[in-house]
Amino acid sequence: MDKPSQHTTSMIDPSLLARVLKGDQQAFSQLYDHSSTLLFTLALRILGNREEAAELLQDVYWEVWRKVSRYDVGRGTPVAWLITLTKSRAIDRLRARASRGYQTTNSLEAGTAAEVADPGPSPFETQADQELRAAVEAAVAGLPQAQQQAIELAYYEGLSHAQIASRLNQPLGTVKTRIKLGMSRLRDSLQQWGNHGELQ
Amino acid sequence: MTHEALEESLPLYAAGALDRIERQALEAHLLSGCASCHNALKDYQSIAALLPLALSPTKPPHSLKSTIMAERNPVPIPAEAAPNEPARQSLEPGEWMNHLFPPVAPARSSSLPWALGLAALVIAAVAGYFAWNVSTQRSITSANIQHLEASIQEKSTKLAAVQREVGDQAKALAELRNELQQRTNDVTETKEQLTLRDAELEEARAQLSRQSGTHVPGTPQDELAALLRMPNAKTVSLTGSDLAKRAAGVLLYDSRTQKVWLYSVNLPECPAGTTYQLWAIRDKPISIGTFHLDTGETTHLLVKKVLNFTDARTFAVSLEPAGGRPQPTGPMYLLSRS
Repeated sequence: MDKPSQHTTSMIDPSLLARVLKGDQQAFSQLYDHSSTLLFTLALRILGNREEAAELLQDVYWEVWRKVSRYDVGRGTPVAWLITLTKSRAIDRLRARASRGYQTTNSLEAGTAAEVADPGPSPFETQADQELRAAVEAAVAGLPQAQQQAIELAYYEGLSHAQIASRLNQPLGTVKTRIKLGMSRLRDSLQQWGNHGELQ
Repeated sequence: MTHEALEESLPLYAAGALDRIERQALEAHLLSGCASCHNALKDYQSIAALLPLALSPTKPPHSLKSTIMAERNPVPIPAEAAPNEPARQSLEPGEWMNHLFPPVAPARSSSLPWALGLAALVIAAVAGYFAWNVSTQRSITSANIQHLEASIQEKSTKLAAVQREVGDQAKALAELRNELQQRTNDVTETKEQLTLRDAELEEARAQLSRQSGTHVPGTPQDELAALLRMPNAKTVSLTGSDLAKRAAGVLLYDSRTQKVWLYSVNLPECPAGTTYQLWAIRDKPISIGTFHLDTGETTHLLVKKVLNFTDARTFAVSLEPAGGRPQPTGPMYLLSRS
């Protein structure tokens, strides 16, 4: 196993992806170590099932390995790219599941996930990661419940504003406003992190 | 969409809350080179990418890394197979037997009596034969096992190669399935949009109709057919009087468009210089309109615009002098049941 390096999850060096592009297995192993917990957590939140989340991660890393050349440093950090890719594939899978009529109770599955959640810091999580995580947690927790709910339904369940309005039985305009206000508030709260260039 | 509306949709785009049409509209706008929207979106997207950090971290299964790494680390088949080759050659049956059983001549003793010597020779020959036979069988069996092992090894490497190929195909298939699913979702979304647009079009037609007082479908028959489907249209049936017992009529009134349709059947033709006249009777008869039935005509559809006669309870058709009269003067041919 590779030794933990000084890279943080939120600041994966783009040069690591450049090495992966050249077929460097060790670089790929490091990339996995730095990103897998975050991506697995995201996949598990969206899919609500550990086995499916693990399958999804296999697909995502396979895609990263094959399509790493598509990464464009001008369009975001490596971790933002990985998060976007994972989220997109997980939502696709969620929709495919819905179209097959497969129903799951997210709350029940989330309970299962909570049992195996590991609250301890990852060996790869540095001080900078922990500070960023705390800032994001505080910013999200600081949102009014209704704004937080609307954003999470869009972000983690892939619902459009119209679908959210229908789900919550709220007017469409109200839902749009909640998402806009919530995102603006998050942007204001986390601007310093954005300005520092961690996740542009 | 206006620039302001597009700008307002940026946070929704970053959160993933826009539907496909809106998403495409915004993407087209961004592609057109709007720098302010581009920068604002970048800000929102960087915030959106932070959101998963607020989740309680859960580690993936320990075995996942080795599975993922193995997919990228195919076992080099030729390198593994090569060292077995010399070993296999050294275990050829011939070599194996030569090594253990070098050809030796049986020993002869001249100091023993010939009978004993003969017996010993026979025993030695028999024992030698059995020993040779058993050893040969064992060596053949061992050689066969080695052959089988080599064969299994070869098959295993071939199987591994095939499994990798199947794995690749399965992944490609999964990707295609995902893409198909995506396209299916797009089609569903487009259908929903189409339904929505149809409803909007219908609404626009209705508005146009309200504004102009005319209905978009062309013929009176179309209008009547549409009216029959409307739950709020008022319907009154008329029956023939003693003068025309076989005659009947249906009258419909649409308060929305303030129009009256009278569909009559089996009224006799109008004698020269006369016309039929339709009356709405409230306190006194009010003329709605006249119509004429020529020779051979058995049905007629009269359409008239009438303001305000919702209080009328009775309707009648009389035969009047050509051009009609302000009040009924001639005989009644159709009368509604009040």
